[in-house]
Amino acid sequence: MKLDMKSEMILEEYHEKLPLFERMKTLVLNLLRDCLDENHILVSGLEARVKTEQSLTGKLELKGYKYHSLEDITDIVGARIITFYSDEVDIISALAEKLFEIDWDNSVDKRKMLEIDRFGYLSLHYVCRIPEALCKDPEMPQLNQFRFELQMRSTLQHVWANMYHDIGYKSDVEIPLEYQRNMTRLAGMLEMADEQFSRIRKEINGYRRTVQSMVANGNFDEVPLNGDTFRGFLKLRPFKNLADKIAAINQGEVYEDNLMPYYNVLLHMNMKTIGDIVRMCNENAESAYQLALLQLAGTGLDIVTYSVALQNLCFVTILKKGYGESELVRMFNLLYGENDYHHQRAKRICEQARKINLI
Amino acid sequence: MNVTINKQDEKTLVTLDGRIDSTNADQFQQDIAPLMEGDAPDIDIDCTNMTYTSSQGLRVFLLLQKSVMARNGKMVMRNMIPRVKEVFDITGFSNIITIV
Repeated sequence: MKLDMKSEMILEEYHEKLPLFERMKTLVLNLLRDCLDENHILVSGLEARVKTEQSLTGKLELKGYKYHSLEDITDIVGARIITFYSDEVDIISALAEKLFEIDWDNSVDKRKMLEIDRFGYLSLHYVCRIPEALCKDPEMPQLNQFRFELQMRSTLQHVWANMYHDIGYKSDVEIPLEYQRNMTRLAGMLEMADEQFSRIRKEINGYRRTVQSMVANGNFDEVPLNGDTFRGFLKLRPFKNLADKIAAINQGEVYEDNLMPYYNVLLHMNMKTIGDIVRMCNENAESAYQLALLQLAGTGLDIVTYSVALQNLCFVTILKKGYGESELVRMFNLLYGENDYHHQRAKRICEQARKINLI
Repeated sequence: MNVTINKQDEKTLVTLDGRIDSTNADQFQQDIAPLMEGDAPDIDIDCTNMTYTSSQGLRVFLLLQKSVMARNGKMVMRNMIPRVKEVFDITGFSNIITIV
């Protein structure tokens, strides 16, 4: 289809202004990225594009009568933020309202637009302008002249939009009736899944806050052992005294490493609560130190990891319970994967334990 | 201590021969310095002929491990003799370095 003269002029101006649009795109992306970072918001996606000539031509062919100049087209530059959860779209939109000038007459919350007999799972679209104060570029004073479109949607809203686009219909009324019912069901399912994800996240965050305060308050017997509670417990540095004491055997230092790999070992040792770990530490710290003393004294090894404290505590606890070499091997398998060497190491630890009358 | 470095496409093979102690740990660190930069951070260290390491050696391995991890790579030490493996075990270094 041939474009009319007005549309041709718009297309010509588009070509002239392409460097400006590219600069706008970069600036918008940077502003959004900085804003998300400052507010500690993780998103699933942040992207921007300048409309291609092909896409603009298509738009002008279809709706050229609506536009008098290039400035009337508000999506030459488009940015998109994809959140993990649907309730984060409102947070992002509030930030966008602070960051940019919003053209409210042309912005639409498509999430609220659906009529009862229509389907879809849509996003929030703002038409924005970069505030003058944020675009002081003497070489491109027009950065503030053109508007751009900002889409904000959840990951599942994004999935819907992509799949819908792939199916190839521009609007729901074009879809044959026999398929509309299934599409509606699918949209409803995605919306429900989005709500459920948000709800589960809120509940998990509430749970984490509760157990973290229980850990912080020292109610260890009431705190079930799981990944969250163990992580929170480790923040209290529960093995620091033992690690320092072990390092002091050779006037050495402690290298801080991650103790989370021991979580599975503790579960395997049938620890049910954080209180069980505290008891293990209280009852066995001295034996764990004696074992380290036997291993390290006279070696001159003056650096140990923080985890060596928990490692020796586990050895001592396992051996005191009478589980022996095989259980030590199981512990090593959990920590490092299977290896023939583990039998040799377990045997050596048992010999050392006998020397200090642990078993 | 002899260090042989053999760079391949995607990883670097390192062979260690001898003992690392206070007399040669600085030299060892200089020898492996080229491994702490570059786009192919994966390192495979053959320890078959490494007879001992002191804590100075452990610190150099730690530096190397940190450098590899900072570049999203993986460092693996293999074929350690029991005496050397014991040093890594009793200091807890087996918990931070992959030994196979």
